[in-house]
Amino acid sequence: MDLDQLKPIVETLVFASDVPLPAENIKTLVEETTIEDVQKAVDQLNHDYTQTARTFHIVHIAGGYQMVTHSSYASWVKKLFQGRIKTKLSQAAMEALSVIAFRQPVSKPEIESIRGVNCDGVVRTLLERKLVTISGRGEGVGKPLLYKTTREFLQYLGINELADLPKPREIEELFKEQNANADAAE
Amino acid sequence: MLYLIKKEEIDIYDIPIAVIARQYLEYVQLMKDLDLEVAGEFILMAATLIQIKVRMLLPRSPLSEEEEPEDPRTELVRQLLEYKRYKEVAESLTDLEERQSRHFARRYFEWEKPYKEKEVVLKDMSMFDLLAAFKAVLDNMPKKLVHEVQMIPVTLEEQMEFLAKSLEGKDHVVFADLMKQLEDRIVVIVTFMAILEMVRTHRIFIRQSDVFGEIWISNR
Repeated sequence: MDLDQLKPIVETLVFASDVPLPAENIKTLVEETTIEDVQKAVDQLNHDYTQTARTFHIVHIAGGYQMVTHSSYASWVKKLFQGRIKTKLSQAAMEALSVIAFRQPVSKPEIESIRGVNCDGVVRTLLERKLVTISGRGEGVGKPLLYKTTREFLQYLGINELADLPKPREIEELFKEQNANADAAE
Repeated sequence: MLYLIKKEEIDIYDIPIAVIARQYLEYVQLMKDLDLEVAGEFILMAATLIQIKVRMLLPRSPLSEEEEPEDPRTELVRQLLEYKRYKEVAESLTDLEERQSRHFARRYFEWEKPYKEKEVVLKDMSMFDLLAAFKAVLDNMPKKLVHEVQMIPVTLEEQMEFLAKSLEGKDHVVFADLMKQLEDRIVVIVTFMAILEMVRTHRIFIRQSDVFGEIWISNR
């Protein structure tokens, strides 16, 4: 199938989907195409949207394609969905989420040893919002439950895969920075 | 722990253990005074701090002198740094969250129940937050207002008697003159009520020479 034929089909499928639609799925549905062509079709669609000043575009998120509105018009959509938009995560929840993201699968005691406080409440919040899920039981005392992040987590932060996350700095680096500051002070 | 270090603006690589330990113990004491069950992790942290301090003060045993002399605070610093790393990551995740929250994807909303009008956001709080809140409550308690209720020193009957006496053998008394004799506000009020009562029961009557003129009180 040539690109001109593929483009409207890809557009329709991404438009109709309520979850990020993986290129793999589009390929399976359309049959006579390749993942590369799907990618090309998406690029051309986005190009068209920019040319015609549409207020939405297609993003590659959580392993799939999804249509999203432009951030410049966020305030209007927020008005439309008033009362239905979930609140932002608290700092405590975000800290616990960071630990889970980089150490997954990880148990609650491990999260608590890093944060130094009880994490029952925040872990429950993260579970309820489906940002993390239980991935099994770990070794060790009491065989604690292990947590990992979900697809919703990627979607929530607008990233395609875990590798896109900002990396925590190494402890050595933090040490160095401190020493450099101390040297500068002297 | 980080809370205290932040509050005191302490360099986390050179923690004055004694200062922090004293603060910790103060909080533990405050919790005791308030009859709160002192959290185990608090006592543990205080004990750890004291242990570190003791190890810093004691001369090293000859055996350990051969080893690399290690600052006993290293372990604590390592823990705090580990936490700091994730705190930094959490900040960048919050940025991503903010960025993504401005994009709206197509989806089916009928699957989601609308949120309550006012969703209460419960955040984690530390024991310090709780203590700070408690202190604010104590500080903001309203000063006690006391209403003193006094017995009225006169009765209506007494003042009716007083009026009758004032009128005895006279054609009339002037209202203003009558009231001038009275000093206490409450007595004035009761006397006035006595006049109204006696007018009502037709024992006296009241006349006025002209508008704003003297008021005469006379026997019937």
